Amino acid sequence: MRVSAFLGLALSLLAASVWAADGETIGSIKNLRGQATVVRNQQSLPAQVGLKLIKSDILKTGSNSSIGVILRDDTLLSLGPNSEIALADFAFSPNEGRLSLVTRMTKGTAAYLTGQIGRLSPQSVRFETPVATIGIRGTMFAVKIEDDRP
Amino acid sequence: MRDHRLFLLIPLLVGLLVSCAGPKPVAVPPPPAPPPNIFVLLPDPDGKVGRIEVSNPRGSEVLMEAGQATRVAKAEEPPTVPIKMSDQEIAAIFGPAMAALPTPPVRFILYFERDSIELTPQAKQFVPQILAAIKDRRSVDTSVVGHADTAGSKEYNYRLSRRRAEAVAQLLLAGGVAPEILEITSHGKDNPAVPTGDNVSEPRNRRVEVTIR
Repeated sequence: MRVSAFLGLALSLLAASVWAADGETIGSIKNLRGQATVVRNQQSLPAQVGLKLIKSDILKTGSNSSIGVILRDDTLLSLGPNSEIALADFAFSPNEGRLSLVTRMTKGTAAYLTGQIGRLSPQSVRFETPVATIGIRGTMFAVKIEDDRP
Repeated sequence: MRDHRLFLLIPLLVGLLVSCAGPKPVAVPPPPAPPPNIFVLLPDPDGKVGRIEVSNPRGSEVLMEAGQATRVAKAEEPPTVPIKMSDQEIAAIFGPAMAALPTPPVRFILYFERDSIELTPQAKQFVPQILAAIKDRRSVDTSVVGHADTAGSKEYNYRLSRRRAEAVAQLLLAGGVAPEILEITSHGKDNPAVPTGDNVSEPRNRRVEVTIR
């Protein structure tokens, strides 16, 4: 009895330290080629395999670079060279009815495979670009956006 | 922009033809380039094909077949009618992005003895495989998620499935997994493997899923 109570307590402490309440992890970088950046709170961090991502992070790749990430709901997302995408919103709490995945791509090429949020609540997933928005029905797609900005 | 240039070209061409004796080669203006913004539907890694709808205030198009693409010139113009893109063209444009897409996560589904936090003997056999997969993938993001069926109260099920997740996590930690990579949680009855009505006992929904990303 005492042993199992101790284990229970140790586990709940560990669980609390894993996922910080603020700046909660929404995914991580799995693949990386060349120079890429994560813009977080207006600061640029060099991308690294294993780096944990949080909501509002912006992923940017250079001219000879590509990056691949997995989000906590198993969504796969990658960028080719000269690309930029913001992880605008992410919520994955089916037990609380909170499901949301919004990505905002500004330029470049991207590939995307939807995960559990897309399966549980397709209307909660939106892939936005300057010219059109994609509504998703559990699927894989690729997008190319021309950089129109001066 | 191109239209203006075409306009200027035509009076110039006419002018040349009239003034010169004999036929002269006529420069043909290049066709307008297709809109540069492309949305293409691809098959999943398991070959299944879903649907996407590409829309803006001017219109929308639904893509339902692998390789179908729609193009959009700008937000003020509707997406074009979908056409098939060749594999070569898709590879040429999207090759680097597709090569960077991570391999899909590995998932293990563990079942429990009825109303208990004891793993079935068969589920226990998965633990070494889970530990190996975490190592192989160098995962920094592995979730251990308890699930319940819709029988019984929401609270009871949430607590039981949460304790089951914690029991599995404990086995993984004992196996040397770093605590900071684990997310231990429960989705209660709200993420069923097999959708059922409310209050339905369904053993396939009473599970812990370990997903290694």
